[in-house]
Amino acid sequence: MEKSIENRNKKNFLKEGFIGDTSKKHTAYLGTTVPKGYFSKSKMSIADKIKSEVKTTTVKEKKQVVFWMQPNIKYMAAASLVFILGFTIWLQNTNQEDDFSKTNSKIFSYSEDHLINSLFINDSEFEAFADATLINEIIIKAELSERKIDDLFLNYLFIEDSLIENYTDKNFIETIIL
Amino acid sequence: MDKEAALIKKLKNPALKDIAFSNLLDVYQERLYWHIRKIVITHENADDVLQNTFIRVYKNIANFKERSTLHTWMYRIAYNESLRFLENNKKKIYDNIDEVSSTYLEVLFEDVYFNGDEIQIKLQTIINGFTENKKRIFHMKYFDDLSFRQISEILHISESTLKSTYYTTVKIIEEKIVL
Repeated sequence: MEKSIENRNKKNFLKEGFIGDTSKKHTAYLGTTVPKGYFSKSKMSIADKIKSEVKTTTVKEKKQVVFWMQPNIKYMAAASLVFILGFTIWLQNTNQEDDFSKTNSKIFSYSEDHLINSLFINDSEFEAFADATLINEIIIKAELSERKIDDLFLNYLFIEDSLIENYTDKNFIETIIL
Repeated sequence: MDKEAALIKKLKNPALKDIAFSNLLDVYQERLYWHIRKIVITHENADDVLQNTFIRVYKNIANFKERSTLHTWMYRIAYNESLRFLENNKKKIYDNIDEVSSTYLEVLFEDVYFNGDEIQIKLQTIINGFTENKKRIFHMKYFDDLSFRQISEILHISESTLKSTYYTTVKIIEEKIVL
């Protein structure tokens, strides 16, 4: 009789169904428990963990931005590049202009000192002064300027030749022969 | 609009998200804890997995497409998080998953928050003797009060298979428990 009551109780153990809350059900059937006040503490810790997770995610997202892709750096880099390019082009132009202007000024200038000096020279001495000036200012300078022009032409020719040489070395052979 | 739809709407609204999430914790924290606890066994493990589950819910709520109920969606996340935990734990401690199963009772009895009596230990031992699927179906239906439809969505098993598995399992438990 006692055995049958015990067996009926055991069967009812499953059939009785759930009375009370989830925690009570688990404790009653499976013997598992939780620390006192666990769920209220857990709620706080979950909320805290989510806050810290959200913070770290935003920090990580900020860190993920590539340094050189930041707008400030990008604009600065672009500005410097434009400046360097512009400066290089300007330097090249000014050098060419200087050479040309120097050459031109030396070729075509006729010292104003001689014109002024000529005003203060006696008529008797003028012929000698004119000869000297002619030799100094016109013949020698003309000779010098001619040499410089020759040098310039030769330089240009050399440069052009070397460029052509480079071209024939690489691209020309590739394009024509291959 | 029912309560769940209203809660989802608030959760997806950045201005109301934190308040809504607090309500969500009130409603589901305990249920999910017990769902997880039965899979990962100890209280300490369940606490870790519960936190990860809610963090995942918080992060992904904006992507929730509402194809299933919020309840089912959260259970699925908890279930997957628990399996992920077991998988990681297996790599650290055990050589294979069978060993995890064989040590289930050892781990359970070592847990400070287990103080089962004779009949509770017997029930735990019987349940542990089932395959993982049978064990989970029984837990979800009997202890978590999930419908067959919800279990089907979580485990991706047809409802008819679930029903037959569950009733067979209950019958076996009833028979074994009186022996």
